[in-house]
Amino acid sequence: MFVARHIAADHKDLIHDVSFDFHGRRMATCSSDQSVKVWDKSESGDWHCTASWKTHSGSVWRVTWAHPEFGQVLASCSFDRTAAVWEEIVGESNDKLRGQSHWVKRTTLVDSRTSVTDVKFAPKHMGLMLATCSADGIVRIYEAPDVMNLSQWSLQHEISCKLSCSCISWNPSRKYAKAETLMTVTDPVHDIAFAPNLGRSFHILAVATKDVRIFTLKPVRKELTSSGGPTKFEIHIVAQFDNHNSQVWRVSWNITGTVLASSGDDGCVRLWKANYMDNWKCTGILKGNGSPVNGNSQQGNSNPSLGSNIPNLQNSLNGSSSGRKHS
Amino acid sequence: MSGTKPDILWAPHQVDRFVVCDSELSLYHVESTVNSELKAGSLRLSEDSAATLLSINSDTPYMKCVAWYLNYDPECLLAVGQANGRVVLTSLGQDHNSKFKDLIGKEFVPKHARQCNTLAWNPLDSNWLAAGLDKHRADFSVLIWDICSKYTPDIVPMEKVRLSAGETETTLLVTKPLYELGQNDACLSLCWLPRDQKLLLAGMHRNLAIFDLRNTSQKMFVNTKAVQGVTVDPYFHDRVASFYEGQVAIWDLRKFEKPVLTLTEQPKPLTKVAWCPTRTGLLATLTRDSNIIRLYDMQHTPTPIGDETEPTIIERSVQPCDNYIASFAWHPTSQNRMIVVTPNRTMSDFTVFERISLAWSPITSLMWACGRHLYECAEEENDNSLEKDIATKMRLRALSRYGLDTEQVWRNHILAGNEDPQLKSLWYTLHFMKQYTEDMDQKSPGNKGSLVYAGIKSIVKSSLGMVESSRHNWSGLDKQSDIQNLNEERILALQLCGWIKKGTDVDVGPFLNSLVQEGEWERAAAVALFNLDIRRAIQILNEGASSEKGDLNLNVVAMALSGYTDEKNSLWREMCSTLRLQLNNPYLCVMFAFLTSETGSYDGVLLNRYIEKLTNEMKEAGNLEGILLTGLTKDGVDLMESYVDRTGDVQTASYCMLQGSPLDVLKDERVQYWIENYRNLLDAWRFWHKRAEFDIHRSKLDPSSKPLAQVFVSCNFCGKSISYSCSTVPHQGRGFSQYGVSGSPTKSKVTSCPGCRKPLPRCALCLINMGTPVSSCPGTMQSVPFLHAHVNVCSWIQQEIWYLQRLSSHKMLSSKEKPSSVELSNRCPS
Repeated sequence: MFVARHIAADHKDLIHDVSFDFHGRRMATCSSDQSVKVWDKSESGDWHCTASWKTHSGSVWRVTWAHPEFGQVLASCSFDRTAAVWEEIVGESNDKLRGQSHWVKRTTLVDSRTSVTDVKFAPKHMGLMLATCSADGIVRIYEAPDVMNLSQWSLQHEISCKLSCSCISWNPSRKYAKAETLMTVTDPVHDIAFAPNLGRSFHILAVATKDVRIFTLKPVRKELTSSGGPTKFEIHIVAQFDNHNSQVWRVSWNITGTVLASSGDDGCVRLWKANYMDNWKCTGILKGNGSPVNGNSQQGNSNPSLGSNIPNLQNSLNGSSSGRKHS
Repeated sequence: MSGTKPDILWAPHQVDRFVVCDSELSLYHVESTVNSELKAGSLRLSEDSAATLLSINSDTPYMKCVAWYLNYDPECLLAVGQANGRVVLTSLGQDHNSKFKDLIGKEFVPKHARQCNTLAWNPLDSNWLAAGLDKHRADFSVLIWDICSKYTPDIVPMEKVRLSAGETETTLLVTKPLYELGQNDACLSLCWLPRDQKLLLAGMHRNLAIFDLRNTSQKMFVNTKAVQGVTVDPYFHDRVASFYEGQVAIWDLRKFEKPVLTLTEQPKPLTKVAWCPTRTGLLATLTRDSNIIRLYDMQHTPTPIGDETEPTIIERSVQPCDNYIASFAWHPTSQNRMIVVTPNRTMSDFTVFERISLAWSPITSLMWACGRHLYECAEEENDNSLEKDIATKMRLRALSRYGLDTEQVWRNHILAGNEDPQLKSLWYTLHFMKQYTEDMDQKSPGNKGSLVYAGIKSIVKSSLGMVESSRHNWSGLDKQSDIQNLNEERILALQLCGWIKKGTDVDVGPFLNSLVQEGEWERAAAVALFNLDIRRAIQILNEGASSEKGDLNLNVVAMALSGYTDEKNSLWREMCSTLRLQLNNPYLCVMFAFLTSETGSYDGVLLNRYIEKLTNEMKEAGNLEGILLTGLTKDGVDLMESYVDRTGDVQTASYCMLQGSPLDVLKDERVQYWIENYRNLLDAWRFWHKRAEFDIHRSKLDPSSKPLAQVFVSCNFCGKSISYSCSTVPHQGRGFSQYGVSGSPTKSKVTSCPGCRKPLPRCALCLINMGTPVSSCPGTMQSVPFLHAHVNVCSWIQQEIWYLQRLSSHKMLSSKEKPSSVELSNRCPS
């Protein structure tokens, strides 16, 4: 179903994150070599590195694109305890000739006292907002009040999670104001991702921990709850897969939230998809080095008996999931 | 290394060989089995590699430790440390012609016999071999041998030689070490520092010591318990790991006073710690009686300046096999590869994968980074369409203008690829709905049109209790019969189902013919019968029976049909009503039901209940065929919602709901959300034209949807949008109130730019400050960009000028658009 091809990345050390822009025509990678590279897709579909620069004085953990409405803007976060916002400068003739673009640092967010482990721009309808989380468990939400001025960011919220944070994910929806998401995940969480909502009546959340878990969050209808107060959610676990054998490192949704890709300690990338009965199944396995896995038959089955309702259980979340939206 | 627990070593240069040693040394050769079968006699190491035993050497009993000669030649020279402290050079018999042949079998004997704990070859001077021994009174415990040194008989005390099991080949004994270190101490582990050939790090009994061979009288040391398994990070020469019980200490040799880091303590004692030779900062540890290897990923070269924070360490564990692991060894060159051996000598070869980070691109390709490499993976084009993801499908459908055919609505399902029966049914339903709406509008321009889109469920509901009867003539029979005259609503419902073409008085002939041509004889006969043409029905059945594909039994049915009698208690009636239940074909079944039933006893209530039930089922399942029942009503939106929940197909949802635009379904916030999401998808795919087409399509069908603002007015001085403050207010509490202008923005006069507070220029005609919202027409400026502000031409001109930033051109502009400017001076609100 899927074929992989190799791209010469030319990073001098491990690559920690890959991120696409809104249109999927540009890509940013970040690495332990303290640099970020920006790649552009040519007409023929090949990727060309158009910028590579040193961004931090430590490993760069994550890189993320802002919505193109705000310009060509990147944010990166690093072990050096900072997060930075970068903007591409257009019209530099020298750089253009060499096929290189020029990126300048617009701001450095220095509030964290520990390694900043994740950075994410908010959905665009919220304006230009940015959330970071750090190893000491503080989620910070910044806002640029003026979208034309990227050097001014005000710290809007600071949420202490008490536990070390590894990842955050914005909920793409605008429908509700605040969510409290407590789960029975007791193992360290390595990645978390809300699926693009697309107008579903519920939200889908994928969690990478010692297995892949998929939750649905269905808002309890307003009529049923007492007026006011935050929206309550019915949380169901719809799938749980331990096919990665050990830790699962990353999860990522496709644009429609219908296919989930996960990577884990078995060195494989697995694709998960729900059938019409809402049973999630493995639809593809690829080895980390791009070669297909022999005997593509180890398919996982979701366990329907796990569909128990587990709302409001004690938060033993190690590594925070922050699916908050503040109105 | 005890005699029972095997250890494992990769050859430093011949990277496809390794040695397993317990009581003997076994040399193995590793082969890839990707393209070949497993050879006889070889052991499987992993899915794609196998090992073949090359040779076994059991010359050296009581092995305590083994170290592989680091030079390229001779290949298979190993130093073996024995329980009596002797170090023996041995070979695995690969090359006996070498000039180094005389090295093999050479023994290096300490003065006093005690256990040899560790061996280390000097990486720079390949002939130097350091051996760490247990304590023996005041003797030295670290001995450095030069393997090329000659036999020195005069120094060897003869009684020591005799002690060692009566050796005869004394010519190979060497007893004079190059250096002797660590007096009155025990040495547990050793490693040479790559910084300098003459620096040796030793884990002594109670401390870690660095010996400098240029000045053996001095040593640098630090007291610690973590003295076992000292090993230098190959990528960061000042970083050293050592362990004690369950704890690993990481040292920085530049500040040797205390460990820079201690890793979390393990409940069981550690047995081996090793840096990965192919990647920076990856330390593998193994504890006793465990089947996992714990990996510590130290991503940071420690900073020598006083950085108090501990580097973040990612801890991972891998489980290469189910049994306990006795030992492991990193492959010297192959990335992150290691081999492990269990106590019963089963081995397995595996690669520790880097953390793979991945991302989906909006155009359904997946990119991931593994280590230093990037991989892109795209869905294959020639894929079976059924397996394609909805994202790909929607993209392709958008390209084929799916949903945009408003004339031949049914054609949309062909544009969608003609593969989904549900979509087919949906678009045909919508097509008929549209058609009948138009028909009814022509007939009576009342409000029946909306009823069509309301679906069968509401149509049937509204038709209840309005049953009229009339008499019709049976054609072909000389009888009359009471037949319910269907009221208009029910006719409509039937029409939607494709039953009766147009009204009751219309000739059904062509429809019957078309059905006959398609081979649907049963249905055609039923339609004919319902139209009270029993002769035609029988004729059709005969036709069907005689055709190739037809069923011969149809003749029998025709025969039965011809015996129709209107008498209430006839045998025919009795038999038919009992036997019809055995008929398989529903059309045939219903024909007899029609004929045998009591006049006027069609149970409308039951039908209604059935439709209700079916509707709920369809809603639950999100089955698009149910749109026929629900129509484009709130029920329809519910149904579509579960369809979207199930498939994520907002495209179909958006287009379908737009069809019902005159109704208020479009105001449903879910529908608006789908439309918005679909537009967003088109944006993400850079389908600008498709999105524009969609917007046009939308505004055609839904007049209430106004295009969003495309042009904004910005301040001449600061470049900020002035309509920003009065735009659709994304942020509460910002806007005018922030700049000291209280009250409603429509009433207040704005005389300065909300951004830079510079005074706004004035209109040359009316002298009102530009950007002033006009009270006579509140909200004009807020919601509509200036190009659409036809209502208030004055403010339009104001903004226009401002936008062009040419105050003086007011005259020019107004002369260009003379009629409006004349008008505008009259209508200026001031």
